[in-house]
Amino acid sequence: MRGRRVGAAGARAIAGVSRSLPSDHSPRSSGRAKFDRPDDSAPWQLLLPRALPIPAGKRLASIALGKAALPALCFARANPRAALPAAGSVGWLLRAEDLCPRQMLPDPSGPLGDEMTVWGQCDALASLGPPAPHMETEGPVDVRHVQWLMGKLRFRWRQLVSSQQEQCALLSKIHLYTHGCHSDQSLGHLSVTEAEMLRDPEGGQQVSGAGAAQNLDLAYPKGLHFCTPGMGPRTFWNDLWLVCEQPGLLPGDWAAPLDPGGASACSLLFPLRVLLRTLEQENRRLEAVLAWRRTELVFWQWMDTVLGTCAPEAPAAASQPTFLPWVPECGDGELELVVRELQTLEEELREAAERRRVAWEAKARGCGRGPEWSATRRASQETVEKELGALQRRWEQDSGPAQAHGPHRLVRREDGAAGDRDLRAAELIRTLRSQEACLEAMLRQLQGQCRQELARVAGALPGLIWIPPPGR
Amino acid sequence: MSIVTVQLGQCGNQIGFEVFDALLRDSQSSHGLCCKRENEAYQASCKERFFSEEENGVPIARAVLVDMEPKVINQTLSKAAQSGRWKYGQHACFCQKQGSGNNWAYGYSVHGPRHEESIMNLIRKEVEKCDSFSGFFIIMSMAGGTGSGIGAFVTQNLQDQYSNSLKMNQIIWPYGTGEVIVQNYNSILTLSHLYRSSDALLVHENDAVHKICAKLMNIKQISFSDINQVLAHQLGSVFQPTYSAESSFHYRRNPLGIDWHVRPPSSGLPSLGKKSLNKDLHFNTSIANLVILRGKDVQSADVEGFKDPALYTSWLEPVNAFNVWKTQRAFSKYEKSAVLVSNSQFLVKPLDMIVGKAWNMFASKAYIHQYTKFGIEEEDFLDSFTSLEQVVASYCNL
Repeated sequence: MRGRRVGAAGARAIAGVSRSLPSDHSPRSSGRAKFDRPDDSAPWQLLLPRALPIPAGKRLASIALGKAALPALCFARANPRAALPAAGSVGWLLRAEDLCPRQMLPDPSGPLGDEMTVWGQCDALASLGPPAPHMETEGPVDVRHVQWLMGKLRFRWRQLVSSQQEQCALLSKIHLYTHGCHSDQSLGHLSVTEAEMLRDPEGGQQVSGAGAAQNLDLAYPKGLHFCTPGMGPRTFWNDLWLVCEQPGLLPGDWAAPLDPGGASACSLLFPLRVLLRTLEQENRRLEAVLAWRRTELVFWQWMDTVLGTCAPEAPAAASQPTFLPWVPECGDGELELVVRELQTLEEELREAAERRRVAWEAKARGCGRGPEWSATRRASQETVEKELGALQRRWEQDSGPAQAHGPHRLVRREDGAAGDRDLRAAELIRTLRSQEACLEAMLRQLQGQCRQELARVAGALPGLIWIPPPGR
Repeated sequence: MSIVTVQLGQCGNQIGFEVFDALLRDSQSSHGLCCKRENEAYQASCKERFFSEEENGVPIARAVLVDMEPKVINQTLSKAAQSGRWKYGQHACFCQKQGSGNNWAYGYSVHGPRHEESIMNLIRKEVEKCDSFSGFFIIMSMAGGTGSGIGAFVTQNLQDQYSNSLKMNQIIWPYGTGEVIVQNYNSILTLSHLYRSSDALLVHENDAVHKICAKLMNIKQISFSDINQVLAHQLGSVFQPTYSAESSFHYRRNPLGIDWHVRPPSSGLPSLGKKSLNKDLHFNTSIANLVILRGKDVQSADVEGFKDPALYTSWLEPVNAFNVWKTQRAFSKYEKSAVLVSNSQFLVKPLDMIVGKAWNMFASKAYIHQYTKFGIEEEDFLDSFTSLEQVVASYCNL
């Protein structure tokens, strides 16, 4: 049983089990990720030490699993070995979510706000770096093709800018129109997704899926032309105004069950959202149960093997045996081996680096010490110091306001009040502008270098007339 | 996604009227050959692009009219109003009383800067009216003074002020045996300037359209009105909504999103080695081709012939250079229609001819003083010749 591997099918079964647990305890994080890796010989080995202290020397009969769906399924199987611990012992699968901060868990019902992603300075600059030649061409590239591509890029950029402007105008309008309609006071107005869902419940679902930004292209004409034929752009805004200002005009199915006495849009939205979330959770759970049903057999077969090897020790335990996760004996030994290997590797690397450094120094020393050399050296030192200084200044500028990265929701506020983790658009714009300026400076520098290089090449060929292309 | 049209000069304004008329008439036609929903989507898309709505329901063209003489603009405004189906905005036009005397330099160096603020203000107001703005469509001729000179000036301004917007210039290529003696000077100056500031130049040759009227339509006394209508028809069938290959569930949002590069990439180095002048060219080599099909059976239309690599340059794959847009909704009265927009060597000969004629005149300094008197020096002429020779050479080398 030592080192017994969880086969691929078994892993899938376990994954199915874990998914069928209630969503607020579902380990969507590293716990499940471990299960999904079929080659992991002891998936919970890594989790357990953090979740529960393992009594030394104990070998385990089965796994402690959390309450909810699994016990019901296991007991339904009428398998005596499936007796599970009482409600008190919350198993490690549940704890797994502690290993993973909540922000990393995807929002189950999809983002409802107008998503904006904040990129850190390092993210933006890290994506630059020395331009590496990406094209793997067999022969020389036709410069006309490159210019064609540049032109294509320019056109795409223009299209992107106009789409972006359209989106901003739309966001602004919706935020303005729906001010005061949101149940959450701190937000105050609806997002595009929420507005669309309110206006068109079935079609709006698609909008919330992949994020408002990308699907705006779909949502806008869809809302205008296809969902409600015969309506033009003006009527979209009319609709929205009606919904927000005169709630009684909502279609009967909507208003009646929730609050027949003239519900307002904001009181409609919140219970709807809750309902939606519950429905989706139910859905997911049902799907997981189905998946579990399919792989149930494999799971029990594997369980049998686990219990089979531990069975001889069972009679020695009390009538209510404590179930603890099983850990293979030689776990510690393996770990030590790995640590030792790492240390040897580190040593080797250090020695190699030292050797390289010594060799380079010797080479550099022998490079010559003339005034030319020291002048070059001084010049390059100065450039490096200048660039470093610029970098540091940029860093200090930008690390002033502590900015959280990642997705944010765009909210329009009249009063200007902001929470701790909120970012003001004006500050963000300022930061982006300074980044833009840096990048433009870099671009100009690179262009200058290119021009110098071209001039050098052109100058090297006598009799060549150089006519630069018409500037834009 | 809306387009703002700028109509310049006599030619530009007359054509502009015909274009808007053709577009609206088509969008309101009931012979769409498609389902009601499709038709409504088409109508809404066309309307949003070219017209804005007024309270009493009469669509207003998204256009700015500019001319240095009042006659044509007044005619255009009244014709539109008389139709009852659409009209131009009340304050959308700018005109003066003097004219430009068919002098490019006068249009570019005198009228342009003098009226820059007023014209750009009008344009800005029109752009602000758009919910979502996608670009400019500038209609002008090359041979006169207003359309060509002010057109070049305005396009340059648009490039500066709206650098992120697409600009397409509709250029009317003058008759080879045109009446304006300096039309070749005006043409080369226009083209070389537009080359730098415009994104796409859509060319219609008067001679070609004339031939269509005479041979295909059998019109005996061909007037400018006939020519303009044919032209408008062609343009309309390019601009009306279509589906592109990628997104087949809604009409293309940006009608100017064509990968045209009428501006060919110009290589900085002269070509090495001799070019055989007896090249047996069966086709004009293209950089880009766009086929737009409308009407019945579009889904089954075979456009494979356009994907022949022999049509395109060696450094371009046909799949990158060829695009097809389709819609089932028929255009105007035609059950089926097709339009080909091509960026190819087709214009090399006419361009070469114009440049040649202009050069001959320039060599004998004919009429140059009329230009230098308004600030266009011989150097500017030489620059224009250089860039156009480059264009001709690049296209020849495709």
